[in-house]
Amino acid sequence: MSQILRQHAEQLFAHELEELKKQDGDKRPANWVLSPQSVVTYLVGGKLKNGFEVSPKYIGNRRLMEIAVATLTTDRALLLYGLPGTAKSWVSEHLAAAVSGDSTMIIQGTAGTSEESVRYGWNYARLIAQGPSPDALVETPVMRGMKDGKIVRLEELTRIGADVQDTLITILSEKTLPVPELNIEVQAVKGFNIIATANNRDKGVNELSSALKRRFNTVILPLPDSVDEEIDIVRRRVESFEKVMELPAEPPALQEIRRIVTIFRELRAGVTLDGKTKIKVPSGTLSTAEAISVVNSGLSMAAYFGDGQLKAADLAAGIIGSVIKDPVQDKLVWQEYLETVVKPRTDWADIYRACRDL
Amino acid sequence: MAVHILGIRHHGPGSARNVKAFLETVKPDIVLVEGPPEADAMLQWVSNKGLKPPVALLCYQPDDPQRSVFYPFADFSPEWQAILYARRQNIHVRFMDLPAGNQMLVEKEHRVVKQQEEPDTGHINNEGQSLEQLYKSPISYLSDAAGFADDEKWWEHTFEYRNNNDEVFDAVAEAMQALRESLPQKDKKLELMREAYMRRTIRQAEKEMFHTIAVICGAWHAPALQSKSSQKDDNELLKGLPKVKTECTWIPWTFNRLSFYSGYGAGINSPGWYNHIWHHPNDDGTLWMANVAQLFRKQQMDTSVAHIIEAVRLAGALASLRGLPKVGLEELNEATLSVLCNGESILLKLVQDELIVGHQIGEVPVEIPKPPLQLDIEKQQKKLRLPATADYKDYTLDLRKDTDLDRSIFLHRLQLLGINWGRQQYTTGKGTFKEQWRLQWDPGYSVEIIERGNLGNTVVEAATASVLNQSKEAKELKAIGDLLEKTIPAELPGAIEALINELNNLAAASADVIELMEVVPGLITVARYGNVRKTDAELVLTIINSIITRVCISLPNACIAIDEDASQKLLELFFKLNDGINLLQDGEITDIWQQTLIIIAANKSTSPVVGGYSTRLLHDARQLEGDQLMQYFSFAMSSATAPVIAAAWLEGFLKGSGTLLLLDQDLWQVIDNWVAGLADDIFMQVLPLLRRTFANFTNPERRKLGEKARWGGGSGHQHTNIGANFDPERAKQSLPVIMQLLGLTINTTETNGN
Repeated sequence: MSQILRQHAEQLFAHELEELKKQDGDKRPANWVLSPQSVVTYLVGGKLKNGFEVSPKYIGNRRLMEIAVATLTTDRALLLYGLPGTAKSWVSEHLAAAVSGDSTMIIQGTAGTSEESVRYGWNYARLIAQGPSPDALVETPVMRGMKDGKIVRLEELTRIGADVQDTLITILSEKTLPVPELNIEVQAVKGFNIIATANNRDKGVNELSSALKRRFNTVILPLPDSVDEEIDIVRRRVESFEKVMELPAEPPALQEIRRIVTIFRELRAGVTLDGKTKIKVPSGTLSTAEAISVVNSGLSMAAYFGDGQLKAADLAAGIIGSVIKDPVQDKLVWQEYLETVVKPRTDWADIYRACRDL
Repeated sequence: MAVHILGIRHHGPGSARNVKAFLETVKPDIVLVEGPPEADAMLQWVSNKGLKPPVALLCYQPDDPQRSVFYPFADFSPEWQAILYARRQNIHVRFMDLPAGNQMLVEKEHRVVKQQEEPDTGHINNEGQSLEQLYKSPISYLSDAAGFADDEKWWEHTFEYRNNNDEVFDAVAEAMQALRESLPQKDKKLELMREAYMRRTIRQAEKEMFHTIAVICGAWHAPALQSKSSQKDDNELLKGLPKVKTECTWIPWTFNRLSFYSGYGAGINSPGWYNHIWHHPNDDGTLWMANVAQLFRKQQMDTSVAHIIEAVRLAGALASLRGLPKVGLEELNEATLSVLCNGESILLKLVQDELIVGHQIGEVPVEIPKPPLQLDIEKQQKKLRLPATADYKDYTLDLRKDTDLDRSIFLHRLQLLGINWGRQQYTTGKGTFKEQWRLQWDPGYSVEIIERGNLGNTVVEAATASVLNQSKEAKELKAIGDLLEKTIPAELPGAIEALINELNNLAAASADVIELMEVVPGLITVARYGNVRKTDAELVLTIINSIITRVCISLPNACIAIDEDASQKLLELFFKLNDGINLLQDGEITDIWQQTLIIIAANKSTSPVVGGYSTRLLHDARQLEGDQLMQYFSFAMSSATAPVIAAAWLEGFLKGSGTLLLLDQDLWQVIDNWVAGLADDIFMQVLPLLRRTFANFTNPERRKLGEKARWGGGSGHQHTNIGANFDPERAKQSLPVIMQLLGLTINTTETNGN
């Protein structure tokens, strides 16, 4: 096992990518590692002709992944849109890994992301010493992606200020990045494209200008349709976490995962799964990703402080931590939920006690 | 002699194209189409210019029109194209399915048998379910094998979208043959009989020495028609087929209805899209996306040409990613969603309604033999310029205009017939001459029209008969009253007269005065609105007259010995009735009513609230004034009367308004004395009653009453002004101006002289 805390998708699933490449019989767009069909297979999983099993990375609607991949084959960029924790970044990382074999060209969008980090910057020491020269230029992932014909990832596009966002327009429509100081330009090589992610909750913070919006095809990633789908997602992700973290704990029982997913879904929807009782909704998003991290932290608790078996008490702290984001409002919501929904469920007595004691 | 069996999918545009091309090459001398043979006579209309699809053949049993089957046809239906070809080439064309009447009969038997079998469920049920799933869709086995998630999609991509059609019918027949062989046969009797009947029709055509016979049938039946089943078996199966009388006609159909379950089995989800690919088989999505863009622009959404280009590209990329030879509706929808709608599926709903389904409605020529009622309705629709549309349309009718009045009458009549084409909406604004209607035609009304046809041949006749039927069933006075209220705006003199007679009879028999009183306000409204609608109000007035007379006779007794709840209800009716009578302004009725009120008010055993209110009504009508009123008032408030009863009387008397107390010093004094004379505990007892009385007054009234009470009930300061500093000489000077303002001339000198 390597010493790296978290490996990139193309490292973690290197054997799958290798196998897909070997079996790939379809036409590959220029500078793509895999054919579009194989990229979709890599994302949603499946069996190859030689019986090799590809694990699913995205569990959900296959059509959404097809739209995403098809978009990358055209000259439009892809915008993944959705609530926090709906696997936007996860999908974007795996897409980049499968299409370009490299998911590392990434720009994290923040309120402070400047034009220099999107287009290019200068090494000022060099600039002063030598004057403007290509050596003094600091390339951004965008510039490198254009030169190499690779996929560039832009996280949280809507957090970036509108003026900086709009510098993307030339890059996306003309596929060129002019450097007027040197009187040169970088023209994108085939295979270059951008995958951006944006958050529903940030809507209206830095709304995309319509000119920029027009350069993106939007794919909205939804919350999982059913409990079973969500449980499946959580289980798979937790299992891969155990592998990476080398936890001595026993794999979590499906029962525990089901309970957490149930709690999260009920609080998210504002109604119990049987549709009979109305519940207040807390301020957090309670996404699938959070459910995954609750189980993961529960596993660590069980491994290091408990007897290695995942118990309700190990999960309680995690659940409360992710539900109560606002110490005043959410606490009331949670207590009400605990007393009216959790308490009457006889087989949930342990989780009720564990949560109440905290 | 050759028989060509063309297996198709109903309403499949690709199938339609294939059929058309095939017929043009083979040039048959007879075409047999899956459909009800009773309707053979209707086939001649297909080439008529007035018959514009979507239309449907409606087969119904004249004695029970609800038993009916629709066979819808669109431009892109293979059957339609086949019939059209035959008509244009002037060759024979026939329907070959089991007669619709027999099918209905068999299905009915089947249902009866099923119901009988119902009780002994148990373990068989389980087995049945799994078998049912097996039968669900035979095509799905093929689509599963081809790796499609949806059997419809598979069929579309394999047979409907393709442009190269060599031997496609052979392929279909072969595929179906394989399916029929490998799947457990569902030996549904109806299926077998239908196929036997089709084979019989083909044999008949062969016997008649036609050389080239083209048979158009659902793909599933194709192998069964090719197999050489023995004539004897078929005859055995069809033996003793009863003759069922059915009638057929063409009716307009809508795209929306094509997507429903109908006589041809499951409907199609996307008639608008099929229509598009029928008319533009080579469209790569560009034309479709252009239509989508047009639609979006109409809704004030910026959609550029670049959007269309990108969407078409994405759809193409998706199709190639999925290994499809041609862009399908799913790819186009997904591209629309991703490029034009920014991922929000709400806008896609618009595309679904307007383009994928569409609002087209068919047309049927006037000359087609139709049920007389249908003809009459169409005639009226044309005359009143109220076209039947698939999408809804709003009309605001001004009943003062002749056309609008006629329209309103027509719509009201249809409503009485139970054909809810128009729904009356709430109108904004005042006036009884305005009506708001929302009209949306549903092809299903055709059945209702045929069914109502037994009531009469014109709308007037049928509506009248319908009202009469309803009135026979109604046994309550109120129900008849309601019916009358609905019938008056429909202007059906015959029905109205009958209703009024019925009302009269029921009223005479009715012992319940409350029931009678409930009917009157509604009738009065009718009499009033009759003026706008130019209806003869006399009829209604007569009945009002007789009912009120009856009410007046039995009302005094009804006001005696009733509890408080009943009194309150009676009070409401008194209020409405009095209101209505005031509106009528009929001297005779008013007289009777006032006489009754006097009796009620004078009767000592009348419920106090009612007694008080009657007194008040009499006062309002100036029948009871001055000393006489005082007499009634003091009597009711005298100390011997139990305070609770006195308070109730007061409540009745002051119902709604307390102005009387403000103005009449004597009344005020009586109440003042009464209240002052109450012992403390009794005052506590009557306080809630009084509170209830005064709480209903308006704010200014209550304030003034309060002020008056503070002034000690004195005559009020209004009186003190009178007579103070009055200068007759100065006042006289203003007289000429006032006279001038009033338009009177006086002799000034004379005034001066006086």
